Amino acid sequence: MATSAQPGLLGLEGSAGGEALATNGTASTAGPERPGPLQDETLGVASVPSQWRGVQGILGETKSCQTASIATAEASVQARKHVDAEVQTEVPEPVSLPSVPRYNGPRLAAFLRKVEAMVTRELNKNWQSHAFDGFEVNWAEQQQTVTCLHTLSYPPAQGQGLHVTGVSWNTTGSVVACAYGRLDDGDWSTLKSFVCTWNLDRRGLNPQQPSAVVEVPSAVMCLAFHPTQPSHMAGGLYSGEVLVWDTSRPEDPLLWCTGLTDDTHTDPVYQVVWLPEPRHSHRFQLLSVAADGKVLLWQGVGAGRLQLSAGFALAAQQLPRNTKLKKPSRGETEVGATAVAFSSFDPSLFVLGTEGGFPLKCSLAAAEAAVTRMPSSVPLRAPAQFTFAPHGGPVYSVSCSPFHRNLFLSAGTDGHVHLYSMLQAQPLTSLQLSHKYLFAVRWSPVRPLVFAAASGAGDVQLFDLQKSSQKPTVSVKQTEDESPVYCLEFNCQQTHLLAAGDAKGTVKVWQLSSEFTEQGARETERLDQLASEVAS
Amino acid sequence: MIGNDHAEVEETLKRIQSHKGVIGTMVVNAEGIPIRTTLDNSTTVQYAGLLHQLTMKAKSTVRDIDPQNDLTFLRIRSKKHEIMVAPDKEYLLIVIQNPCE
Repeated sequence: MATSAQPGLLGLEGSAGGEALATNGTASTAGPERPGPLQDETLGVASVPSQWRGVQGILGETKSCQTASIATAEASVQARKHVDAEVQTEVPEPVSLPSVPRYNGPRLAAFLRKVEAMVTRELNKNWQSHAFDGFEVNWAEQQQTVTCLHTLSYPPAQGQGLHVTGVSWNTTGSVVACAYGRLDDGDWSTLKSFVCTWNLDRRGLNPQQPSAVVEVPSAVMCLAFHPTQPSHMAGGLYSGEVLVWDTSRPEDPLLWCTGLTDDTHTDPVYQVVWLPEPRHSHRFQLLSVAADGKVLLWQGVGAGRLQLSAGFALAAQQLPRNTKLKKPSRGETEVGATAVAFSSFDPSLFVLGTEGGFPLKCSLAAAEAAVTRMPSSVPLRAPAQFTFAPHGGPVYSVSCSPFHRNLFLSAGTDGHVHLYSMLQAQPLTSLQLSHKYLFAVRWSPVRPLVFAAASGAGDVQLFDLQKSSQKPTVSVKQTEDESPVYCLEFNCQQTHLLAAGDAKGTVKVWQLSSEFTEQGARETERLDQLASEVAS
Repeated sequence: MIGNDHAEVEETLKRIQSHKGVIGTMVVNAEGIPIRTTLDNSTTVQYAGLLHQLTMKAKSTVRDIDPQNDLTFLRIRSKKHEIMVAPDKEYLLIVIQNPCE
């Protein structure tokens, strides 16, 4: 029913309309003829005006407003006096020793005259004194034996039968990372592997649950933590790629990668090392060493790419001929590199271990171009300067002494550890540690005469050259069934810890006894003596 | 003469330095500032500051126990070497020796 609100309509028509509506369908007497019972009929519009609503008129009022006029006034100001002054910071004076005051001469001379006799007497007495022979002070509680502190593993990796191929401690010494892969696979494998880290300083450490796990598309062969960033680490893969991860970003840990270009290695990468950049010593670049004979230096450029900045290639014809080596077969043969160690005294000097069993002394500054057919965006150079006498099999690990500039160790598959001096080709001593392969050897960061070796018979051997030069001082069994121990690393911050990874997929953190962590008197001299005694 | 004194000072220090096993020699004044040394700058400054404080402490210890007594010589023996300090009102002579064992 439509109600049209018509203004001014009075109620008279309304009631009539209402009546008409009430008697709608039945009595339509108003029409001229009576329609049939089922015929359509149109009625007039019925409107029902409101009885309670009154007429609404429009009320209007006019109002206006106007802002008052703005008062303005003008005034001018002029500076009459001004003064110029300059301020300059002074270059800070470099702190230096104050210049020697010469006018103190007479009093200084008198003083020295007075004390010289006494001091000389004491110096001589000291030199001949045996008063302190064998006197040793123990400041810290002594630990008598080597014990296993933690046994860490990652069950999914163990389930796949993966081995621990590399361990690394981070720069703060509280996090240990391990890389999973396989060392006995001969073919191109595409199985997924892992890199796991455990934070040992955290309470509630669960040995089966790493603090961070990174999934990697290919087997990882080696691992190295960044020297100053506690969460960055680099790894070399079986496929020849080099990747850098940031474990502080759990959603996407991959920071840089080399990708698979012409520049990348074509063989497994056996070791990666972080090096300070030559001009900016707080920035670091990566060096990778692989079985294809290339030693490559990578730098991170934008968008997560590692770019080749310099490279070296080893070729059999370019090896220095100071040592007689087995004659290489015809044609250019690449010499596969399996291990690298940098000297702590000369940052451009490094030692490479090779598949042929002979360590090579190399330099980053070598300028001679390498004879190689491998394509590369950066010209490759031949780094080798000196060849050392070979082992009976490939060298798997080299380590330069942090206390002596010329000494380094190499361990190979013949079960021997050779102690070399950079100055001569023949090793100073050769120690047989095992009848099986030796996979890793490392100098201790605190004791000049101690080193540790990981053997294929499942034990970690600690050697103290001061006590015995023939057999290990301590030999700890890491695996029950004699499966090999593949890698080990000392912790430089917490010097009583040693981490070792084995073929069962576990990493054991050993706590060393005090004799391995405290430097005795005059060990550095003893090391010097050792270095020079055999040179004759 | 000033020239003579200067030469004498240098000669004395050279004699001390050339003794068997001596690693370094230095002369420090009453404020702990080194005035002669055979070692590098940073090591010298470290030794001078620390040993000056230790000598003052040792001197006051001796005087407190017996006011008629005074410190004549201070020796510190460590695992690696021996440090000898000859004190005086105005200067300290510090010698570091690596003793034979």
